[in-house]
Amino acid sequence: MLIFAISDKGGTGRSVTSGNIVYRRSLQGNDVCYVDFDFGSPTVGAIFSISEAERGTRRGGTHRYLQGEVAEPHRIDIWAESDREGLRVKPPGAGQLVLYPGDEGGGEFPTLTEELLRQCVRLFSRLDEEFDLVMVDLSAGRSFAAHLALAATARLPGVHSRWLVFHRWTRQHIIAAAGLVNGERGLLDVGAEHGHDPAELADRVRFVRTAVLEQDSAELAGLRPTQLAWLNDCDRELRELSARHKVGRTRMLGKVPLDPVLQWREQLISDEDVLASQIANAGTVAAFDDLAKKVVDDNAWEGL
Amino acid sequence: MTPVNATFGEVAAERRIASSPLSHVSIELGHLYMEDFEAGPDRLRQQFRRAEPWASTARRSWQERVPGGRARVSTCFLIDDYFSRFSTPAELIPVIVETAADSGLTIDYLARESACARAGGVEPAKLVEDRLVADPPVGTNGSRPPARETGWLCNGTRSPVAGVVQAMGVAQKWRPPAQNAKRGHSVFVDVELWNDDDGERTWSCPFLAAVWQLLRLGMLRDDGRPPVVPQPRGTTFPDDWADLPPIIRLVPSAAPFAAYTTLSVLSSRFMPVELAVRTILSQVAVDAEVLGQVVSRSEDEGVPLEDELVDRLSYVFT
Amino acid sequence: MVGEVQTGLLQNSGEIPDSLSTELLALVRGERVRVFRRPIAYAVSPDRLTGVDCHLASASGARVRGVGTVLSRASVTGGRLVQGSSQVRVTRGTSNRRLAWSHYMARPGVVEVVGKARAADLAGGFTLDAPPAESLDLGAVSARFVDVVQSSARLDRRAPFRMARTRFRWTAEPGEPDVRLQLRGDNVRTLRLTLPDPFAPGVAELCEDLALHDWLLTALIEIVRRARPGSVARPEAAARLAPAIDHILHLWMPAARVQDSLLHVWESLEHRPGFTRQWQSLVNRVRDHVTVALLTVAGGDGRSGD
Ligand SMILES: Nc1ncnc2c1ncn2[C@@H]1O[C@H](COP(=O)(O)OP(=O)(O)OP(=O)(O)O)[C@@H](O)[C@H]1O
Ligand SMILES: [Mg+2]
Repeated sequence: MLIFAISDKGGTGRSVTSGNIVYRRSLQGNDVCYVDFDFGSPTVGAIFSISEAERGTRRGGTHRYLQGEVAEPHRIDIWAESDREGLRVKPPGAGQLVLYPGDEGGGEFPTLTEELLRQCVRLFSRLDEEFDLVMVDLSAGRSFAAHLALAATARLPGVHSRWLVFHRWTRQHIIAAAGLVNGERGLLDVGAEHGHDPAELADRVRFVRTAVLEQDSAELAGLRPTQLAWLNDCDRELRELSARHKVGRTRMLGKVPLDPVLQWREQLISDEDVLASQIANAGTVAAFDDLAKKVVDDNAWEGL
Repeated sequence: MTPVNATFGEVAAERRIASSPLSHVSIELGHLYMEDFEAGPDRLRQQFRRAEPWASTARRSWQERVPGGRARVSTCFLIDDYFSRFSTPAELIPVIVETAADSGLTIDYLARESACARAGGVEPAKLVEDRLVADPPVGTNGSRPPARETGWLCNGTRSPVAGVVQAMGVAQKWRPPAQNAKRGHSVFVDVELWNDDDGERTWSCPFLAAVWQLLRLGMLRDDGRPPVVPQPRGTTFPDDWADLPPIIRLVPSAAPFAAYTTLSVLSSRFMPVELAVRTILSQVAVDAEVLGQVVSRSEDEGVPLEDELVDRLSYVFT
Repeated sequence: MVGEVQTGLLQNSGEIPDSLSTELLALVRGERVRVFRRPIAYAVSPDRLTGVDCHLASASGARVRGVGTVLSRASVTGGRLVQGSSQVRVTRGTSNRRLAWSHYMARPGVVEVVGKARAADLAGGFTLDAPPAESLDLGAVSARFVDVVQSSARLDRRAPFRMARTRFRWTAEPGEPDVRLQLRGDNVRTLRLTLPDPFAPGVAELCEDLALHDWLLTALIEIVRRARPGSVARPEAAARLAPAIDHILHLWMPAARVQDSLLHVWESLEHRPGFTRQWQSLVNRVRDHVTVALLTVAGGDGRSGD
């Protein structure tokens, strides 16, 4: 199954959240991979603590593969190559966890050519053959990467694909996320142009709220009642807004609470971070775990 | 007990390649377009008068070459009914045969050019299309699919077009095209094989001419059988080109249509087309078994052939 | 001779019939797809050629240029497994420069070395862990043949389990019979054969057969690993083992189409590492586990019915 991670705005937590989802999914026993299609800024190696690919790889990543310069993009086995010691031991029962980084110095592509498209179709098809879950991190906004993904999946009707739209829990983010999907030249629009059925495609899109400050969270403990009431009002307003923009609860796959560790550093959150060193919140891991289950659970994706 | 040797075979697993009868040389006496016929009987007469001395020289030299002097020589003539149509077979064929006879020539086989595209249920051009193996530029290591411009075939590396440049990447400068097997300087040839305008495939003249050469060399097979077999002539010729068999045998006692080698006597305006034909033929993978059959038969006859297919073709441009 | 075989699971929910294999493998019009039904269904595409002009990897690192054609084919075994296989015969060239393409087309499946090279040096280079990126890449050619089959719209793409393809790189040199098989990272295997007649047509078929069985073994090991029998509840593990029983156990058919003169290669690999021994022990484990799981369920039902 292919999962495309997308967001309208940059810095929403798309990469960190989707990275943690694949990590959790592999702990749950699936073979998973993470493909960096954020062509303008291929920096996802950092999240997996792969210093060699912090700014992309030099050994032929997704950029050079798509341009036909290498036969296959370079792959990194996280369980073997991560710089984080905690990640270098594959727990019993865990599946493969593989990263396909972008190229160091790689940039956005200007136009979608038949050549690029064919390479992309071939890549998705091969990855789907090998992995239970293929997470593709796309650039923010209406990007070349999103366009490419839509065109490629249209040529792979037999391959299951799903879209996760990440957004923060703010007014601007909600409107932007809705626009990215339903708006003019949005996912559905461009998808239809490439032969997707818009209704069917819409059923394969879900939203994920990132860095959400919950009413009952510890962070809000010291607030005055007036402040809490105000926050409560805001939250209600946002819920109404999101429902109006079809980004409401029914289309939400899950939400990830604001986490102190992630606020400071882009990384995978291991059980150790919660249990042993206690730097991360248990709720965060629970949210990632839940997303990792739901993302492949057909019940969570039933037509609306 | 000694083990018994068992043999086991399955018919669906076998590959059977029929051999086709072969002459020593197939001489093409001319290739005319409809406009040539429109130009009047003189054009035709002139072509045959020019062809005759070459045809008889070729016949004589093969008689000297073949042990015992029993050279098998067949002649053929190709009519274009693919790009344009003119008159009817009933009217035109007798004129062609008579005009040739006036110059002392016999036409053994007459073929329609459209037969190279489609002959009955077979499409010879498609058989050839699937057997093209592109001439690889230096550095081709198999890691990417052969660079192909759909419908085109060349003998080298094309000049780069302003291709995909990543944002803030380095743009490419113009470079000249290059022939892969150049000696010092290039003769770069890029041939259009077909176009699919209006959703319909139209084969190019050089591509059909390449198919024609392969048919004359007896190198094509469709499921192991020759795709086009010459048909005997009837007492009359039809009124529609479509009703004429793809290749007809005008002379019942003629030597086989296909041959070890071909000679084409053509007007020199066909030179660019034949350069294109050679470019195409150099990139066609003929079935190894067919090649082997031909080679072993020619060797049995004491007439060794050139290794490379293109070297079995010869031309006279008049 | 050098070659590389890629083997993978056909992307379809069930076994496909011969008629569909034939359709998927019709890669050259006018050429027949050959179909064998015994001892196991096996369909193979007509051969196709790919032109190359590139460096050949060498163990010594010497720069050797080769020009010629790669011979490839695709096949489907048991309606379940797909293989892409490419091979070339490397020979000394007749010239110190590249010749007209028609020269190479007259020698299908041959790559001529432009200049000098030693056979052992090239065989060593080809079976390196990571041959240089710009050198002859038969794996990529084979992979495209697998892709062609896998991308057919006639397949439903609902394979019973996910499994990586394996890449089986092989070389055959003339000499006293010798077999050296190595498992490497990233699902790469290398086989170095020395044979009295390394150019016999059956050598590539032998390697395809070995690659197929190596894939089966690899896949079964992986399925058992994923199922974690002994660590998770029996019925759960049994459910994870079921695809192996349904889809691959019956495909084990060593040396199905291997020529008599090459059987000794299979036999020596049966001796060490002992392909069939390991396979059989895994099969027994899978069967036993599933049987016990069934018995437990049946027993449990019996009790609850009391
Ligand atoms: N749940 C969270 N709680 C707190 N901070 C978070 C959370 N999720 C992500 N962040 C932080 O937000 C920032 C942006 O995250 P990330 O890099 O994943 O975003 P992105 O959408 O991929 O951005 P870009 O478009 O630049 O690639 C990072 O510093 C990250 O650590
Ligand atoms: Mg990111």
